[in-house]
Amino acid sequence: MTQTRSLIDENGKRTDGRTGDQLREIKITVGVIKNADGSAFIEFGMNKIVAAVYGPREVHPKHMALPDRCVLRCRYHMTPFSTDTRKNPAPSRREVEISKVMREALEPSLMLEDYPRAAIDVYVEVLQADGGSRCAGITAASVALADAGINMRDIVSACAAGKVDDRIVLDINDTEDKEGDADMPVAYMPHLEQVTLLQLDGVLNEDQFNQCLDEAVKGCKMVYEVQRKALMQKYFGNETELKEEQ
Amino acid sequence: MSSSRRSTIIVEHLRKQQMWDSISKGKRLDGRTLDEIRPIEFEVGLIKKANGSARVKLGNSEVVAGVKVETGEPFEGLENKGALILSAEVLPTASPYIEPGPPDEETVELARVVDRGIRESEMLDLSKLALIPGEIVYVIFVDCSVINADGNLFDATSYAAVSALMNSKLPVFEIRDRKAVDTGEKQNPPLTTVPISITAVRIGESVILDPTAEEEACMDARITITTNSDQNFAAVQKGSTGAFTVEQLKRAAPTARIKGEEIRAKLRESTKAGK
Amino acid sequence: MQEIRRKYVVPGDRIIDGNFRPLFNVIRAGNSIISTRIGIAEAGREGVKVIPLSGIYIPRVNDIVIGKIMHHSSLSWDVDINSCFSAHLPAQDVFGRDFSPARDDMGRELATGDLITARIIAFDRTRDPMVTIQDKDLGKVPRGEFIKISATRVPRLIGKRGSMIQTIEQATHTRVLIGQNGIIVVTGRNSEGIKLAVRAIRMVEEEAHTPNLTQRVKTLLNVSDSAPADTSQLAQPQIAPQNEESQPTIQEVEEELEVEKGEKAP
Repeated sequence: MTQTRSLIDENGKRTDGRTGDQLREIKITVGVIKNADGSAFIEFGMNKIVAAVYGPREVHPKHMALPDRCVLRCRYHMTPFSTDTRKNPAPSRREVEISKVMREALEPSLMLEDYPRAAIDVYVEVLQADGGSRCAGITAASVALADAGINMRDIVSACAAGKVDDRIVLDINDTEDKEGDADMPVAYMPHLEQVTLLQLDGVLNEDQFNQCLDEAVKGCKMVYEVQRKALMQKYFGNETELKEEQ
Repeated sequence: MSSSRRSTIIVEHLRKQQMWDSISKGKRLDGRTLDEIRPIEFEVGLIKKANGSARVKLGNSEVVAGVKVETGEPFEGLENKGALILSAEVLPTASPYIEPGPPDEETVELARVVDRGIRESEMLDLSKLALIPGEIVYVIFVDCSVINADGNLFDATSYAAVSALMNSKLPVFEIRDRKAVDTGEKQNPPLTTVPISITAVRIGESVILDPTAEEEACMDARITITTNSDQNFAAVQKGSTGAFTVEQLKRAAPTARIKGEEIRAKLRESTKAGK
Repeated sequence: MQEIRRKYVVPGDRIIDGNFRPLFNVIRAGNSIISTRIGIAEAGREGVKVIPLSGIYIPRVNDIVIGKIMHHSSLSWDVDINSCFSAHLPAQDVFGRDFSPARDDMGRELATGDLITARIIAFDRTRDPMVTIQDKDLGKVPRGEFIKISATRVPRLIGKRGSMIQTIEQATHTRVLIGQNGIIVVTGRNSEGIKLAVRAIRMVEEEAHTPNLTQRVKTLLNVSDSAPADTSQLAQPQIAPQNEESQPTIQEVEEELEVEKGEKAP
């Protein structure tokens, strides 16, 4: 990914006007799909993604069930109109890979041993993609899992950082993804302080690697605040921060 | 090959009883009268990357449709016309009974019936969308994704596809060196009519409009009728394993026209607001 | 000792630090007890627990549930109990030990779509739940209005010693059959009464976690607050016997708060 133009201007503003450490706008709505056990809709920059959770539920076919824990199945899928050029509805290799890393990002947070012989299905549908869609998808999926009432050790928050114009910046957008130097999506459990997804696309030296990782984790913590607020809003309405009665 | 199968949704006997009793008194379980359509929500232009888009909520059935425009070869036998390709997917988010995978016969039927309503009515004047007849034409993709399924996906999907087309802005292509080039300008789609489909199901001796998923699970038969702005019939499809009497069908036809006109007005209003 | 009443939590939230006993929907992480669900956390001498506000029904032995007959094999009926496992009702439970598939017609006894009140007699990590309809008051549900609510709201709908549901039944002249799995059947002679009961049940489902719910339900039903609960006329509603391991109810949390505030005699 070699750059042909400057993506950060002399005032430190990026192509969409943000500074290097600013997240795009995030909006999360919980419980948007009536039939699902849990669901969430996320708008993250121009990403528009819906996540639905069905489960725990019976496994079909029965022989796929595991005797001591729940089976977790994840599907990341893009609708044909979600990208610049129309995408064929059949799953691409990219979607297959993202489905796998998404599952591996969410699984550490779930107490699957509580539901032996059952299955949990997580469906992430990208209605509009805008750089960082896998992070937005994981973020929405974790909220949907909590909405479904599945036992979780922690929420999973995801955010990417990257290198653009030789600088480490937070939450790269579509243009920066296509024309920048490196893209590092990260998923993180904020209370347990553990990384559950890490990928790198691009070239970084060791200092840049560490910086990028730190920046992405910072972003994850900011994303978590939005997730938590959305869940509290749905379940507790305006009584969100009820004081503890000691 | 299509085979009979066990129905997926098993409706509680008590619920069925409630439904029959209620319908015989002219009301449905959700309080609607027999020919009342659920509240419809329209949102247009939500997918900025698409040339046109719409989200429709018909009761709890929710569908998002997107229009994408490219250029390509025309269909065989239709050399002077642009190509319209409509597809529909019921996403696995939509119900506990959907499994990811290639479209099953119900989904294929859904796509084809929605397509037929739009194509046969000639909603888009495809003759205006040929660049080099026989070689290069506009290719209009309309892709519909069902996000939540609660009955009457035929109408919900059709309204989403029609709204998305009405809301769309097509690129303006021109031919340079026998290749199609996007000039960067935008044009309105060549629309001629607004096809509206109305679906009804038979339960016992009653015919009710806009069924919920539960009502569909108890239905004998289903009929989808699409009418044009000039009140003519463009496409019809009977579905499910039961039957209608001829009288019921003849009564359904004018209902489809009248209700179709009501929906058409709502759709026009919301598409205008979106622009 | 430090105590917490009614703290709203989401998964991962730290509830309290220290040497407390984890009870329900919580786990220990280092020195902290954290929540594994969205719900209302409570910590005290007995331990720390979270009353969940979402989540499907997980069967427990001895629970009374309302199930829907799906299909049957030659030896048992498959019953949908609104959980992640379907339950089995052995044919022998209904026909006796000398049940013979050739002679006894399972489909005629219990058909697809029938509702049954049943008790869970077996369930563990290795097998699907098994139910019986042999006890008193169990069996096919012949009529009534069918409703489904989230199983997490059932304890609140029942109330302490049945107080909430009895209030609804008396005010609307209905009988409400409640399954621990969130399935409910309302019967009564008066259709207006049934409609009102359904509204009250929906209100409890939606506002289960809020304080003063009892008051608002009574207002909806047009019942004066001072009217004593008259338990003599109606039979006891179907309530699962309180197991040793049963979860605390939202009702219990709220009632304790009301006692605290002096609104109610303990």
